[in-house]
Amino acid sequence: MVFSSITFLYFFLPVVLVLYFITPNKFKNYILLIASLFFYFCGEPKYTLLLIASITINYFYGILIEKHRGAKIAKCAVVSSIIANLLLLVVFKYSNFLISNISYIFNIDIKFVKIALPIGISFYTFQAMSYVIDVYRGEVKAQKNVFNLALYISLFPQLIAGPIVRYKTINNELTHRNHSFDDFAYGVKRFVVGLAKKVLLANALGEIWKLAMYTEQPSVLFYWLGAVGFTLQIYFDFSAYSDMAIGLGRILGFHFLENFNYPYISKSITEFWRRWHISLGTWFRDYLYIPLGGNKTTKCKWLRNIFIVWFCTGFWHGADWNFIIWGTGFGVILAAEKLFLLNFLKKVPPVFSHVYTLAIIIFSFVVFNSSNIADAAQYMKGMVGLLNIPVFSKEALYYLGSYKVLIILAALCSTPIPLHIAKRISKNCKLLPVVNYLEPIIYIALLIVVTGFLIDSSFNPFLYFRF
Amino acid sequence: MEMKNKIITFAFLIFLLSMLALNIIVPEKDISESERRKLEKFSILTSETLFNREFFNKFEKYELDQMVFRDKFRTVKAFTEFSVLNKYDNNNIFIKNGYVFKMEYPYNQDCVHDMSKKMNTIYETYLHGMNVYYSIIPDKNYFIKDNDKHLFIDYDNMISILNNEIKNMEYIDIFNCLSLEDYYKTDIHWKQESLWKILNVIGKRMNFSNNFNDYEYEKKVFSPFYGSYYGQAALPVKPDVLTYLTNDIIEKAAVDNYEYTGEDRNSQKVYDTGKLKGMDSYDVFLSGATPLIKIENTKNSSGKELIIFRDSFASSLAPLLLSEYSKITLVDLRYVNYKMLDQLVDFENKEDVLFLYSTMIVNNSNILK
Repeated sequence: MVFSSITFLYFFLPVVLVLYFITPNKFKNYILLIASLFFYFCGEPKYTLLLIASITINYFYGILIEKHRGAKIAKCAVVSSIIANLLLLVVFKYSNFLISNISYIFNIDIKFVKIALPIGISFYTFQAMSYVIDVYRGEVKAQKNVFNLALYISLFPQLIAGPIVRYKTINNELTHRNHSFDDFAYGVKRFVVGLAKKVLLANALGEIWKLAMYTEQPSVLFYWLGAVGFTLQIYFDFSAYSDMAIGLGRILGFHFLENFNYPYISKSITEFWRRWHISLGTWFRDYLYIPLGGNKTTKCKWLRNIFIVWFCTGFWHGADWNFIIWGTGFGVILAAEKLFLLNFLKKVPPVFSHVYTLAIIIFSFVVFNSSNIADAAQYMKGMVGLLNIPVFSKEALYYLGSYKVLIILAALCSTPIPLHIAKRISKNCKLLPVVNYLEPIIYIALLIVVTGFLIDSSFNPFLYFRF
Repeated sequence: MEMKNKIITFAFLIFLLSMLALNIIVPEKDISESERRKLEKFSILTSETLFNREFFNKFEKYELDQMVFRDKFRTVKAFTEFSVLNKYDNNNIFIKNGYVFKMEYPYNQDCVHDMSKKMNTIYETYLHGMNVYYSIIPDKNYFIKDNDKHLFIDYDNMISILNNEIKNMEYIDIFNCLSLEDYYKTDIHWKQESLWKILNVIGKRMNFSNNFNDYEYEKKVFSPFYGSYYGQAALPVKPDVLTYLTNDIIEKAAVDNYEYTGEDRNSQKVYDTGKLKGMDSYDVFLSGATPLIKIENTKNSSGKELIIFRDSFASSLAPLLLSEYSKITLVDLRYVNYKMLDQLVDFENKEDVLFLYSTMIVNNSNILK
């Protein structure tokens, strides 16, 4: 089940909210846990057991480490827990990638395994690992109540697409959290805005990439249109999910950390990664980069650490070479920025550094979104005019015209400008009463428009016999 | 602030709960008139469908199809696309000067080649020695292509390919006999009452004995007529008036419609007025989609017969051709494979054959069997 579905919006969510708020506080977690497991079960019936197994294993590792804190057994436990969690990922996410590469390297024929990727496994496995490692480091105490740990790992707002919530972030709220109209209303607003970003912007922007990929009239303009469309789509898609997760969490009394901070206003790739998928970046920083020695080591080892972290970041996003190249490519650029490029970028006009950053981001997402490296290379050749295709075509001009408002709107919404405007309006005393009246209407209206788009996605006229 | 947050909270909850309640209370529908298709029904839960995800996938489809105010929500979407996002089309549909259009794009040149191949094969299989003609009906987009920003197929190239590749058939050009006003505003089809020019062009080429102005027809009207594009547009558009022309020949014609079985097969009329208030009023012409229909003119004993390979445009044209023939056989290759035709149609002693297809069928000829 995804948030942007009718089943979630008009069945699951209202039922869960009513049950949750009419249930006495001491039973609220059970309602949420059942709801979260049901939420996962709807999308992955068979792999729900895998989720439960992951919860159980990590629960016992936490208890074991707590019990033997400081002893060798605790170290063994944390190492074996990391191995167990990574093994889950290797088996369910990377096995066929490994098989295909081993087959290729050794020129042997190994059959692929029939394993579907369980939804959300990359997110909940990383959450579980962070819990066990934090217990080992003494940053948090092991959760004695298995249901509370199960709730942390499976909590439906962040279960399948993040953000990767650290246990220490919501440790206290798992047992003691407050509910208020302020939190509920804030959560509604974040959720509805996220939903609108996903359905009204991201989904529509995604169409541009598809149009550019399958056009009969390829042109430089169309390739750029597709790449820019996808760059905006992936931001609105992913950040929308984080918005919805944060919003739903707030409605239920949880305070998740922000996961995006207007990444496209960055003036360097270093800044971009501080603003993009923050929870993943900090996870790799705290659990991989710093343990490897970070930058407090020799230059050679530091560069190695950067390479390892960005190799892993790319590989985390998908089991294919384009993701690895995408991640390590960022590693190379980040190393270059840290070595000399950042100093240069600080000296040039901001427009230049902004264009430099956006160009890298746009090209990187072409690699990210292509099915293989050859396709990505071909697409990028098209973008820079190396494919012997026209600069523009009638089709490209049509879709540029048809999507121009959406692209401008999306570009604007990827900056803090709309938020600044909203804040200024709400601070204006004369406008405040109007805003107070309008705000609830705006959010319900957005919900209605989103529902219209969701329903229209199933619009399927049967024209076969009509002409 | 506190009050505003309370209002937001309750407004959100009330909205979600109202939709939940309405979705449960409102009975499910069988069909969507605007999309002219069957809607997803609630599927029974079994352990197999539960664990292979089929149940939940089907439930989402069911909810999307059966959502209360479904068409109203679609109107909200169409309005947002056109008026807020300034999109040029919504699901390829756009409205211009009160006419609803559907973009026929991209241009499938392979389908055009395939169309000529199919027509040549049919000629080689069944039509040797007959007077065979073909004509292509332009879709509505043709009439706005020169001064509109939307995307269009290459009509000139399409006709050029057909003319070059189709052998043993005479092409009757009717593109210049039509204008946008000859089509319904809310539907894909042409208007029957606007076909005189075409009838006379066809008649001249096929050596008809009379000019069509010589016949008298009684005009019957049905209003409001909401064509198939009306529902797809999901926006308020003025409906059409459907006019059908009849006379004694048409009223007394014997119809054998292969879509029906038993007594129903031979009890059909040329104009099935019962369909006027149905899902698609255009089905008044020859009762709508059918693989094969034979119309006998009881007042013409010349024995002259016509076979039309056709799509739904011919449903409104064929009744007006009836005066010239003893029998007209209409074959729709979307519903019957051409290899089966010798079992259904007697090709002996037939004189005239007409292939009459719209540009949309030519551009999607892979749907012909």
